Amino acid sequence: MTATLNPTDRFAALFESEKARLPGGGVRWLAQARAAALEAFQKQGLPHARFEGWRHTPARVLTGMDFTSAERPVARGGYGGKALCPVTFHRVVVHNGRVQPNGEGSVYGELPKGVSVLSLADALRDDPESLKTALSRGVSFDGLPFAALASALFADGVVVRIARHVRLDKPLNVLYVSDDSAAAKPQMTHLRALVLLEDGASAEIVTESVGGGRAPFWTNLLTQASLGEGASLKHYRLQRESASGLQTAATLVEVGRSARYESHAFNFGGALVRHDLRVRLAGEGADCALNGLALVRGEEIVDHHTVVEHAAVGGTTRELYKAVLDERGRFVFDGLVDVRPGAQKTDASVYNKNLLLSEDADVHTNPEFKILADDVSCKHGGAIGQLSSESMFYLRSRGIGASDARRMLVYAFGSEMIERVGLEPLKEALTAALHARMPEAAEEAAK
Amino acid sequence: MLKITDLHAKVGEKTILKGLSLTVNAGEVHAIMGPNGSGKSTLSYVLAGREGYQVTSGSVLYQGKDLLGLAPEERAREGVFLAFQYPVEIPGVSNKYFLKAAYNALRKHRGEPEMDAGAFLKFVKEKAKMVEMDPAFLNRSVNEGFSGGEKKRNEILQMAVLEPKLALLDETDSGLDIDALKIVAGGINKLRDPKRAVVLVTHYQRLLDYIVPDFVHVLSGGRIVKSGGKELALQLEKEGYGWIEAEKAAA
Repeated sequence: MTATLNPTDRFAALFESEKARLPGGGVRWLAQARAAALEAFQKQGLPHARFEGWRHTPARVLTGMDFTSAERPVARGGYGGKALCPVTFHRVVVHNGRVQPNGEGSVYGELPKGVSVLSLADALRDDPESLKTALSRGVSFDGLPFAALASALFADGVVVRIARHVRLDKPLNVLYVSDDSAAAKPQMTHLRALVLLEDGASAEIVTESVGGGRAPFWTNLLTQASLGEGASLKHYRLQRESASGLQTAATLVEVGRSARYESHAFNFGGALVRHDLRVRLAGEGADCALNGLALVRGEEIVDHHTVVEHAAVGGTTRELYKAVLDERGRFVFDGLVDVRPGAQKTDASVYNKNLLLSEDADVHTNPEFKILADDVSCKHGGAIGQLSSESMFYLRSRGIGASDARRMLVYAFGSEMIERVGLEPLKEALTAALHARMPEAAEEAAK
Repeated sequence: MLKITDLHAKVGEKTILKGLSLTVNAGEVHAIMGPNGSGKSTLSYVLAGREGYQVTSGSVLYQGKDLLGLAPEERAREGVFLAFQYPVEIPGVSNKYFLKAAYNALRKHRGEPEMDAGAFLKFVKEKAKMVEMDPAFLNRSVNEGFSGGEKKRNEILQMAVLEPKLALLDETDSGLDIDALKIVAGGINKLRDPKRAVVLVTHYQRLLDYIVPDFVHVLSGGRIVKSGGKELALQLEKEGYGWIEAEKAAA
């Protein structure tokens, strides 16, 4: 990138120089879609302090850095040890932005009939027309500049397709690994994932991101999922970047009639993490449950922006995000439920609860409704609290030491979200991860 | 076992205890009675080490050691137990896990090996039987959604598990129906032992029908103004606290 250009133009210049080499470079409709996405990005530009939706999240942490496209990592392999998911799951590894072939870290050769899992780059090379509908469909990138950028620049990704009434036999683990390359410079990768569930199909997908290395690594991910009538997707999103890792992820979900989308987001680290989740309950009786747990410490920033659009009758939303903040961590929650005209019998609740362990940490919470129908049940609330001194005293009065008591109460606050995880081995791994991320500052204070 | 001498304590800017003295020996059961606001709960909290309760003068010796110099958890591990008037609800922490953590902290303090989950479950189920508590309560969050009586029974269960040397029971009888009261009293009586002591803080005489105290003290205005045997409790029940206040004023 040329240093004299402003950052937004630098991405445009990058796009011009790389577009011919990007996957599907010779495919006309795709080139048009990429160009349109770039235009949507340029129109908005990179977020800044006055950018809608970025007022509490210092985008400069990301936009102030000069990233180059990720190169091969110094070493590959050892993925089983990096993942929280057990090796018994199907697994697709995306390392520094490249899908690792089956048998080379990835293990997805034995899928049930009616299920296909492919590298997006491979699919565009072998059969681009099969993706035309999914990739050339117009997407509203309004407020999602990074999603637009991912749509323009993506170099790889994952495509999951599940046919009518087929159930994915075991969970699919999509593991995004980031590591330094030989040069150890700040690197970035732009990725796209497609999850297409036909009518009655069901799957459990565990998206994990794991950061290694010392240099900043920025993962920019756009995921689109569509659920046909009666389909069910349980989507676990476990995010563990390195201390200098950054992630911007947009997830756009279209939920059909009587279908159910369940999301569980766990954030366990990273310099800047921004998740945009937009769910459209398009069919009658569509249902979504959005859960989140973030443990934020040091100088970390975690930002969740969710929008659920109730576009049809009888939709249900159950949303609860929790965050534990220590040291100078920052957490931003913005949860909007948008009930469209005619979406009667909507039943929605949006809650955000935060536990502050340090006076230097901060939280911005904004659960919100926009309601254009009259027969609805909508509840929302945001809470920010500290460890209860009453509970602390109660535990200590029974002989439990102050630091153990603190840990117990923090764990109790977070464990509610782990309890909602349906996959037993994942629950155990998350419990261990939660213990490993317990507040160090609180322990120090107890000494 | 416990020797409180001329204890003064304040909460915030308000002085509540004003020269309280009390000696409790091993094997004894003491009842401390008194009108509302006399300092009964303050005394319990000061002895258990709650934050915000500041001792301004006086001393408390427990087994010859300065009790006030110990952190709340150290007091507990040394054998002091406070049954709370209002037990705290702790969502997300199972009763079983809580009891095991407390019990193992105690064992560790004594230099004993920790008890594993299986052995502990067996142990705690026996104790639960004693207070007629459904074992299902062990899997529920600590006190969350428990009725008043269930909370008090849970306090007695904790006491039965931890087997304290000095048990302080703060208004443990309040809010109990007669059946629950009998169960709770039974739990406390089982703990009676020549090596242990019990201090019952109570507003009413009712509990003392089931746990017969060796000594009864009247706390008023932050000090003990009268001491006697169990018959003092009966007199208080009949005549109220007024006559003591009058006696005090005359003195």
